[in-house]
This record gives sequence, structure tokens and C-alpha cells, in this order.
Amino acid sequence: MSEFNFNIEEAPTLWKRWKLNSERNPDRDAIVHWVAGQEPFRWTYKNLIDSAKRFSVKIRELGIKPGEVCATIIRHNPKFYPLYLGISRAAALPAVLAYPNPRLHPDKFRQGLEGMALRSGLDYILTERELEPIVKPLIEKTGSTIKAVYFPLEWEFNAELDSKLDAEVEEVASKTKDTDPMLLQHSSGTTGLQKPVVLSHRAILCHVKNLGAALKLTEKDKIASWLPLYHDFGLIAAYQIPLAYGITSIQIDPFEWVLAPVLLPEVISKEKATTSFSPNFAYNVLAEKINEEELEGLDLSSLRIIVNAAEPIRHDSHEKFIARFKKYGLNPLALAGLYGMAEVTLGATLTEPGKPIPELSVDRNELSRGIMKLANKDSVLRVCVSSGQPIDGCKLKIVDENRNEIEDGLVGEVAVTSASMFDGYRNYPEKTTEVVANGMYYSGDYGFRWKGEYYIIGRKKDIIICAGKNIYPEDIEDVMNNVDGLIPGRTIAFGLEDVDMGTEVVAVVSETRAETDEDKNKVRMNILKAGMSIDIIIHKVYLVPPRWLIKSSSGKPSRKANKERLISGTDQLVWSR
Amino acid sequence: MISKELKEVILTQLNLDDFDFKDETIAPEVPGWDSLNHINIILAVEEKFKVKFKSYELLRLKCVGDLQKMLDSKLNK
Repeated sequence: MSEFNFNIEEAPTLWKRWKLNSERNPDRDAIVHWVAGQEPFRWTYKNLIDSAKRFSVKIRELGIKPGEVCATIIRHNPKFYPLYLGISRAAALPAVLAYPNPRLHPDKFRQGLEGMALRSGLDYILTERELEPIVKPLIEKTGSTIKAVYFPLEWEFNAELDSKLDAEVEEVASKTKDTDPMLLQHSSGTTGLQKPVVLSHRAILCHVKNLGAALKLTEKDKIASWLPLYHDFGLIAAYQIPLAYGITSIQIDPFEWVLAPVLLPEVISKEKATTSFSPNFAYNVLAEKINEEELEGLDLSSLRIIVNAAEPIRHDSHEKFIARFKKYGLNPLALAGLYGMAEVTLGATLTEPGKPIPELSVDRNELSRGIMKLANKDSVLRVCVSSGQPIDGCKLKIVDENRNEIEDGLVGEVAVTSASMFDGYRNYPEKTTEVVANGMYYSGDYGFRWKGEYYIIGRKKDIIICAGKNIYPEDIEDVMNNVDGLIPGRTIAFGLEDVDMGTEVVAVVSETRAETDEDKNKVRMNILKAGMSIDIIIHKVYLVPPRWLIKSSSGKPSRKANKERLISGTDQLVWSR
Repeated sequence: MISKELKEVILTQLNLDDFDFKDETIAPEVPGWDSLNHINIILAVEEKFKVKFKSYELLRLKCVGDLQKMLDSKLNK
């Protein structure tokens, strides 16, 4: 069996790397673009590079300059991949943004995009014609950074490539340095609160080398993924890494997968994929939401590793997944866990491939006091699942509130430094200063180290992670300010554990003067609709009378204190549904 | 037209009292009907009516009327 071998220096930028892969293995599948019920579209490395050249020449023709940011808002489409590579060849920065869900109100989408454009410094929007009425007004807005909107899926290319322009772009590509920025990705979150992370060619290639080695990738690996490419997990793990390493990535439409989860096992079986990635909730969905008949005849024995990341890893989800798929050839040792964040490109730790994931049965009450104590017969049990040990190029420590390292077994904030560290948030120095000090990134996640393994157990920040998507409570609270029947500024949002789905769901508690059950139901509907307007589904609504919410020292309602009061209490004044 | 029985299953899954479902109603118009709840709704419909849907059939559904039609065809209505 071949071993992982990746020499950054022989092709120190992504374009050079992709071109090298195309020269070495021109006929190997680079991307298999999967659409349910259709023959997949296969980009070989050679075809992908040839097509990317055409896109890059068009980008040059349009006057897009090196270093400018091209935000793509495009649904699952085979032209996306050469477009992305073409942007990079022209030394512009691709930034993949999510295509808006129909639930999202167009005004809210435009506002979010406008905020993001200003914050991240987006220069061009490359999207589909359908979004033209929403996106185009952004160009005329005073102070807008957006110079133009283009529709690359409609671009038609001559059979002959313009050799002069092609040579110009190649010259630009050849002069690109490894330390130059390569892409812009957003630390996942909702609308205006996303933080723009710029990564250099070197950061990404270092990550391919270090995470690739930790994953024990070989030339025979094939990655199958339904993960959206606007999320760092999908973009880095299932797109950048395979393309840079020169192996095949099979891309399933995320919108199709969530409606037909069988697509992932089907693709693994048909394409003999070896590697896959999913957030925790997907393990529950795959284990429990597919009819048995649909799995008949599928064979998952090719799957060497499936990595759980992007939300807390739950023991029960893994158990359910193994129980369901073992009879379809799943190797239980294929399951692995990863911890990371966009700020270090993607991964910081990984469990060892092919080995059981370490787990600890601990005393839940002690853990909530910040101490990892192994459970005894009297304990209220919590099973903590390891996210592994640091990958090469990464160092982690667990720190107290003063950012001093603490000993093994004590819970603190996870701090990370990495060879693939970001260079700070773009246009956001105050935020960078907040989270980076002495070369360490302070993650805001809580965890502990035990026997060299890192266990992530919670968050310092109040982010809700629902199905792998980070949701900022502030976004929900803001939109509730204008909801009929609620007292402005007197709503908090928080996450509730959904054991069945293996993820968190969104709950809100709001102060209202509504008194009757009928009125409270009306208020609840208003809350649900307000959530829908920003594409957030609210699963649980608590209504309380005026002045019920506990304030924090800042004078604002405290998320933590009120959540605890709601969950533990039996207050007759609380109405919930 | 959406049958009373199908409407009840959907409302129960979404924890709603009522909703004016029309044939052309799409999921994003209904409070709580996101992709995760969509899976639960489909499983609840299968259980209630003792039918099985194929994933590929489900991908063709555009609106509640389509779900009603697909259900009717399974029930030979």
C-alpha cells in the first residue's frame, strides 16, 4: 500500500499543485459531481485544469485583479469547480457563500450580504441569474465594496483559448507567492456575524500535508462528501485536500442529501469511496432516517475512515451508526473524530485512524464544576468522546480564565497554534486581538486533556450548533425586537440538546404581556415566523411575564442563567410549547 | 386538495394547531418545516398510512400537493 507523500516545495501554490496533479494523473477523476438519479459528471484532472484556464481568462477579461475577492453564490453545479480554480489562477480570492434558502426573506439575505461585503471586503459577486434582482442593488449602494455582479454559469467559451490572455494569466499565476492569500472563508455563522478568515497558499498546503498525514491518506483514497462548500469542513476536508493531494472527491448536493440521506451510503458503495466527513447529527440521520429497503445491496466495506467534526461528538450517535451499518460492511474502526476551526484552516486534533476512539465515562456533576472525575456507581454519567491528539504542526493547551495553562483533567478553554494558522480576521483587527495572543488562537471552546487526548465538552461563547451550522443567538434576539406581542430587548435565544437528532435545536424565551393561552399561541407563531425570516427554525418557545428574565452584570438578560432557570425550574409563570 | 389526515400528521410533527395548507404550499412557508423536520414528517406519513416512499421520489416533491398526490398513488386512490 502506498504511503502519504506530499512535498509542498515542488508546487508551493494551489494552482501549481493542481497543474502538477493534472500532469501526473491527467485521466484520474478529480471531481465526481453527483446528482441523484443521474449519471454523475466526472471532471478528470486534465479536463478540470483546461476548463479552469478558460474561466481564468474570462476573469482576466473582466478586469478582476489579483487579490480581489470573488464571492460565489452558486448551487450544486459542475461548472462551480473550474470556476473556483480559475479565480485562483487569476490570483483573485474565491469566497464560497451559501445560496439563500427560499425561507430566507430576500431583504434579510441582501442585508446579510451587504454586511458581509463591507466586513469581508467582497469585490465581486459571481452568482446565478435568479439572484440578480436581490444582489444587483448592492452595487449602487453608497459605500458598497461590490464592483460588479456576474453570472458565470452563462459564460460561453470559444473552442480556442485566447493564447495572449492565457499567457498573461499564467504569468500572474506563476508569480503568485506561497505566502499570498489564497482564499477567504467565513467562520461559519449567520448573516452579519460571520468572521472573514483569509488563508494563504502555504497555510492550506501545510494543512494538506499535516491533516493528510494524520488521516493516512494514500493515492488510492476517494472522498465522498455531502458537506456544503461554504463551510470550512466541506471546503477544506472534502475539496481542497483531495484536489491538492491529487485524489478524487465525490461531491453530493447538500440539499439533496438532507432530503435523501441514503445518497451518502449509496455513493460510498457505488464509487468505493474510502473517506468521508460529517457532523454528528448526520450519524443520527443516517442511522435512523433511511428505510431498510433502500440500503439493500449496499456495501460500505471500502470506507476506511469517516470523520465526525463541526459539532460535539456524541457517543450514542456513533453507537447507533455502527449498529445500523455494520451489516452493510461498515468497519466500526472507521469512525474517527476531529476538532478544529476555520482559524487554523480546519483541523487541530484527530483520533487515530483505524483505532477505537477513546471515550471516558465521567461524573457529570463534577464535570460541570470543571473537574474530570471518572464515574463511579453513584455518578450521574456522561460519556465524553475524544477528538484525538494534535496533528503535526498543531499545539494545543487548556487554559484558565487568565489564559494560564492548567493541568490534565481540569476543564478550561482550548487554545491552539498551528502551522496553518490564519493571519487574522480580514478588516477586523479588534476581533483578532480578542482571540489571538502570543501566537495562540483562543477558541472559546471548553474541554480537557487526558492522557494526551483532547475532549471538547462545551463552549464559552453562546453559539448554538444546529446540524453543524453555527447560529449566533444575537441574530435571533435582534429579529425578535420587532415581533408583535413581545417586549423589545427582552428575548434570549439558546441551544437545547436534541438527543434524538444528535444535535442542538434553537429555543427562545421572551417576555410578553400576553395572558391568555390563545394570545400566547399567537405570539409563538409570530416568533416562529420571525425566525423563518432569517432562515432559523425555532423549536421551542418559552413565554414569561415582564421582568421575569434574569439580567447579567451588563444589564442585558443572561442567556446562561435564564436557560438554567428554565430547564431546572417548575415556575408556574412559564408557558412553553 | 390536502386531506384532513395528511394535514393532521404534518401539524402534529410541527407542533402547530393549524395551517392553511394549499396544494402549492411549499415547506419554507410553513413554520418549523426545515430539512430535519422534513425527514420526520415523511417518516410519520409512512407510519400513519403504512406506505413507503423511495428517496428519489421524495426529491421530486416540490409542494404539499405533490406529497398528497404521491401518497394517493401509494394508496391506489
